[in-house]
Amino acid sequence: MLKGENISFSYNQAGAEEKAVLKNISFEIREGDFIGLIGSSGSGKTTFVKHLNGLLKATSGTITYNGQNIYEKGYKLSNLRKEVGLVFQYPEHQLFGSTVLKDTMYGPRNLGMTDEEAEESAKSSLKLVGVDESYYYASPMELSGGQKRCVAIAGVLAMKPKILVLDEPAAGLDPETKFMIFDLIRRIQTERNIAIVLVSHHMEDVAQFANRVWVLHDGTLKMDDTPANVFAKVDQLDEMGIGVPQITQLTYELMKSGMPLPHAAISVDEAAKMLTHLLRKGANA
Amino acid sequence: MIKIDNIVHKYTVWDDENTKNEKVVLDGISLDIPSSTFMAILGPNGSGKSTLAKHLNVLLLPDEGTVWIDGINTADVDKLWDIRSQVGMVFQNPDNQIIGTSVEEDVAFGPENKNMESSKIRTLVESCLKRVGLWQKRKESPTRLSGGQKQRLGTADALAGVPKCIVMDEPTAMLDPEARKEVIRLIHDLNKNEGITIVLITHHTDEVADADQIVLMKEGHIIGKGTPMEIFSNKELLRAAKMDIPPRVELGDKLREAGIPVPESILTEEKMKSEILRLYNETKGKGEATC
Amino acid sequence: MIRDITIGQYYDVPSVIHRLDPRVKLMGVLIYIVALFLIRNPVLYIVPLVVTIVLYAAAKVPASYFFKGLRGIILLLLFTFVFRMLYTPGDVIASFWIFNITSQGVVKAIQMTARIALMITGAALISYTSTPKALADGLEKAFSCFQRIGIPVHDMAIIVMIAFRFIPIMFEELNLLMDAQAARGAKFSEGNILQKCKGVITLLLPLFMMSVNRSSDLAMAMEARGYSGSHEVSRMYPLRYRTADYVSYVLLALYLAAFIFIRVFL
Repeated sequence: MLKGENISFSYNQAGAEEKAVLKNISFEIREGDFIGLIGSSGSGKTTFVKHLNGLLKATSGTITYNGQNIYEKGYKLSNLRKEVGLVFQYPEHQLFGSTVLKDTMYGPRNLGMTDEEAEESAKSSLKLVGVDESYYYASPMELSGGQKRCVAIAGVLAMKPKILVLDEPAAGLDPETKFMIFDLIRRIQTERNIAIVLVSHHMEDVAQFANRVWVLHDGTLKMDDTPANVFAKVDQLDEMGIGVPQITQLTYELMKSGMPLPHAAISVDEAAKMLTHLLRKGANA
Repeated sequence: MIKIDNIVHKYTVWDDENTKNEKVVLDGISLDIPSSTFMAILGPNGSGKSTLAKHLNVLLLPDEGTVWIDGINTADVDKLWDIRSQVGMVFQNPDNQIIGTSVEEDVAFGPENKNMESSKIRTLVESCLKRVGLWQKRKESPTRLSGGQKQRLGTADALAGVPKCIVMDEPTAMLDPEARKEVIRLIHDLNKNEGITIVLITHHTDEVADADQIVLMKEGHIIGKGTPMEIFSNKELLRAAKMDIPPRVELGDKLREAGIPVPESILTEEKMKSEILRLYNETKGKGEATC
Repeated sequence: MIRDITIGQYYDVPSVIHRLDPRVKLMGVLIYIVALFLIRNPVLYIVPLVVTIVLYAAAKVPASYFFKGLRGIILLLLFTFVFRMLYTPGDVIASFWIFNITSQGVVKAIQMTARIALMITGAALISYTSTPKALADGLEKAFSCFQRIGIPVHDMAIIVMIAFRFIPIMFEELNLLMDAQAARGAKFSEGNILQKCKGVITLLLPLFMMSVNRSSDLAMAMEARGYSGSHEVSRMYPLRYRTADYVSYVLLALYLAAFIFIRVFL
């Protein structure tokens, strides 16, 4: 669907030297993708995701959506904003509507939907994120932190995007609320068939949910592979200041200490299976 | 150091019909925090842990019960500033607690309020900034610091009060993993090397493995208390407090289920690793012996 | 536009001007501006211009900073110039359509534009050479006599400090909100006035909420660090006059006296 070729970006500050934030990035988001985007702070993640819906324009390179160049003259970026929904960090701080429903309708209305269409879309999105009807006419300020975040996500969902980009959707939440948000993201993906790009520091989540991982380092896309293949490169990631899931670290170190594991595990289940096999083998032999 | 005796705290909430209602946030909390301990308080949002923290610095007063700080009742208005200088606070949002427009000015804010002599302020600011590793950045604007550096500055601000205890209210909630490690390492050093009592409020289980004591809170109650060993081997309790179960604990469980004799309550990754290696070498030895 | 605004533009180099007491610098700005208004003969603008350039050089502030202050008010300067030139009655030296350009108008235009430009560049120097904290301290000390008659000078100094600290953060937040709103299809530069106003509300409301939260956090943090607003406080770097400061006061007095003399007797 969305494809970028040789994207580079630098802020041109008057007087100061140009500093390249993104260097020659090529990427593709396909239908059904769940991509985890990881990188240390300052790697250019936020700048990069702002390119995905045209908030920033690449200094060089092209981005095409369904084959159409978004930088071409006459291409309406508002169309792209409809297709690629972007949920920023702490999105609950960005709510402004007098009621939950009105806030959720803001996006669809901007896209030119009629009031009826916008309301219908808003309601179905609120339902999907699990906000009860009794809250529709309440002020967003009255909701709990977790609910507010759900409403903010619904506000983007109501624009019916085909790709949803979420920047640290679980930042600052307690484990239970975090789990709820991830459950929600997975539901969004399956029920609406929306491709997901998840920016996260939390490697456990990336390993658990993503089917593909992008590793951004110093403005370049260093890896684009399955979670298992990416997290197997423990040392390389460590050099880039990126951690791996705790369980991966543990199994990796076991391997280094001489245990013949096939590869580093990315989930507890996988680790348990591999270790059980190995620890039993000796006893059974 | 701190003794909390059966405190209750209520917030007033206004309903739609303009009727007053009371919400109990802390419901009979009793806790002893001895000097130089590292105490961690875990619990989901809304469990009352932040409210509890504010009682330790007299930012709030209990509706019922008493809080004693070094033998002084926090309700004693005349001793307010004595207590505040015993207990320093570090808050969640790194930006919202920095007042100065440069790093050193910010640390000086507390001592200036105490009307301390200028030369003493300068020595104190220097020592605080050196302890948190920000002395090189003393002239910089706080806006240019990273998240981890901002929280270290917040800690230096607290240290400038020369406290015996520092209460940290979710200091890592808004930080990335690298910055979190940076802050936790600092807390650890202050506790182990300087004997400063630390009360760390968090919802990351991986930050509290070397705490002396962990307190689990839920809905205004303390639902569990013990050493990390005791807490992390009690999965029902962790689940009740809606906390993450550390992966090594989960792995240990799964291995035991499969009949592999991994000991319970393994506290660190390092220990887990050596246990598995030991078991592996044992089975390997056995395997070879039977061949 | 709104994204480019910067504030708190302290330029950190060691210089004579940087080391001066902020009270001297505040007084200097005052005298400098009063002197500008005393000038009648446009030729005399050479003097404050030279003084400003010398001061910039002494403060080791680069020339680009000199023009930085002007860039923000370029429209105002242009408007002043054109308006003064066209609407001052006098001897017509050129005319087109319904406009007459008079010789007096030209003089007046140069005079007004030069005055504003010099005022801005001169006054900007104080913000390049003093930290916000030093300025706040200077203001507090200079007006401390008013504390006795019940004006909360100390609190006002704290407010100035906090403003300097948080205005850049608020701009950052504003940028974030604009991006978030744009991601939801908002178009800030399109539509009629009414639509634009609506767009602004979607920004101001969350910005306001964030500020409310921030101020309650901040109040708590200040209280925890012993701020009460009522008792005596000290300073890490107390303001104390040195020889250079006294010399500066004398120079300033002479400068002002010279301009008064010219105004009255020449």
